Amino acid sequence: MTTAALENELKQTIIETLELEDVTPEDIDPDEPLFVEGLGLDSIDALELGLALQKRYGITLESDAESSRQHFANLKSLAALVESRREK
Amino acid sequence: MTPANSNPHHWSRIRETGSAAGIRTMVWIRRRLGRLPFQFMLTLVIVYYYIAHGLHRRASHTYLKRLWRYRHGHEPRHLTWLSLRHFRSFGQSLMDKIDAWSGIPPRLHFSNGSHQRFVDAVASGRGGLMFVSHVGNMEICTAMSDMLEDFRATLLMHTHNARQFDAVLARSAHRDNPPEIIEVSEITPSTAMRLGSRIAEGGFVVIAADRVPISDSGRARTLSFLGHPARFPEGPFWLASLLRCPVYTIGCFREKDGYRVDFDPFDDTSELSRHRREAWIADAMQRYVAWLTRQCESTPLQWFNFFPFWLDCDDTHPRESQESERPAA
Repeated sequence: MTTAALENELKQTIIETLELEDVTPEDIDPDEPLFVEGLGLDSIDALELGLALQKRYGITLESDAESSRQHFANLKSLAALVESRREK
Repeated sequence: MTPANSNPHHWSRIRETGSAAGIRTMVWIRRRLGRLPFQFMLTLVIVYYYIAHGLHRRASHTYLKRLWRYRHGHEPRHLTWLSLRHFRSFGQSLMDKIDAWSGIPPRLHFSNGSHQRFVDAVASGRGGLMFVSHVGNMEICTAMSDMLEDFRATLLMHTHNARQFDAVLARSAHRDNPPEIIEVSEITPSTAMRLGSRIAEGGFVVIAADRVPISDSGRARTLSFLGHPARFPEGPFWLASLLRCPVYTIGCFREKDGYRVDFDPFDDTSELSRHRREAWIADAMQRYVAWLTRQCESTPLQWFNFFPFWLDCDDTHPRESQESERPAA
């Protein structure tokens, strides 16, 4: 899967998982922060998104708050995480 | 809220009364010299702690008075005697805990129907979340992984608690199939993902929901417990709603000969929709506190929260709590 296709798939996942009714995939800038600024998602959304990625791609992370923050910084970093760690 | 770093009486700030060396000595006495010398020593130690540790003594008194007033309508008649027995029951539970972790199987029996419910829950392969509390001996529950091969438990523990155990456990843990312990100070997406994958594999996540977290970001709600306002963490309930899985309660209580295990279904969040989540959490927290109350009523002396638990304890100066809609997890 190309990076662009994966990014699109992730945009859809974010919108569906978090039920962001007013957001279209085009609204999500791959370089913009997903949380607080940008889409304005909060930490519960982050947990939910993490669980959705775990279910869909079989990803697990070592328990480390800092790396968690880096991976979830923006769509680009999230796509990189899925690409390198996906098991399904 | 009353964050740990501004409240000197938050449970995480209170040094565990009982150094690693002291606990090891007691374990040695129990194993080498037998039960009677051990019981004698334990009584001496308990009396010493009762006299020397005012904070724990006052916490025990407050709890016992409130429970008795709630249950019987009056305060206990022999408070000192009752409180000493409360302390002793805690000392006993520490020893049992070490035995359980060392691979000495505790004598367990399940209360009515609990065994079948437990076997069914494990056999379903759906895994789940188990709420526990500091009433009874939750570590004993994990010993059940020795009894039922397919039962895999992951304990979510506050880093602080887990550290205290390390010193003792490093020397006494010989178990083949120890439960996995995940130490956290906050629940991050990585923690959630790890827990999600354990449950997907049919495992069980065990979490206590009667202590507010250490980190300032962890949110809590004030609920009435034994007739007085107390803080309860939202985190475990958010986790339960996000993990979308069966939820159970489990308790292990010491009885005359061994431990009684109560295992009950609590709820199932598999189909819980996003917009019903807030309402579910509010309701689930109420039901958890009701369950906790029943546990205290059935085993009054196995309440092992020896710190000012309520907001209106006489010996603390709690700040006005502030309700929050969403925790920072």
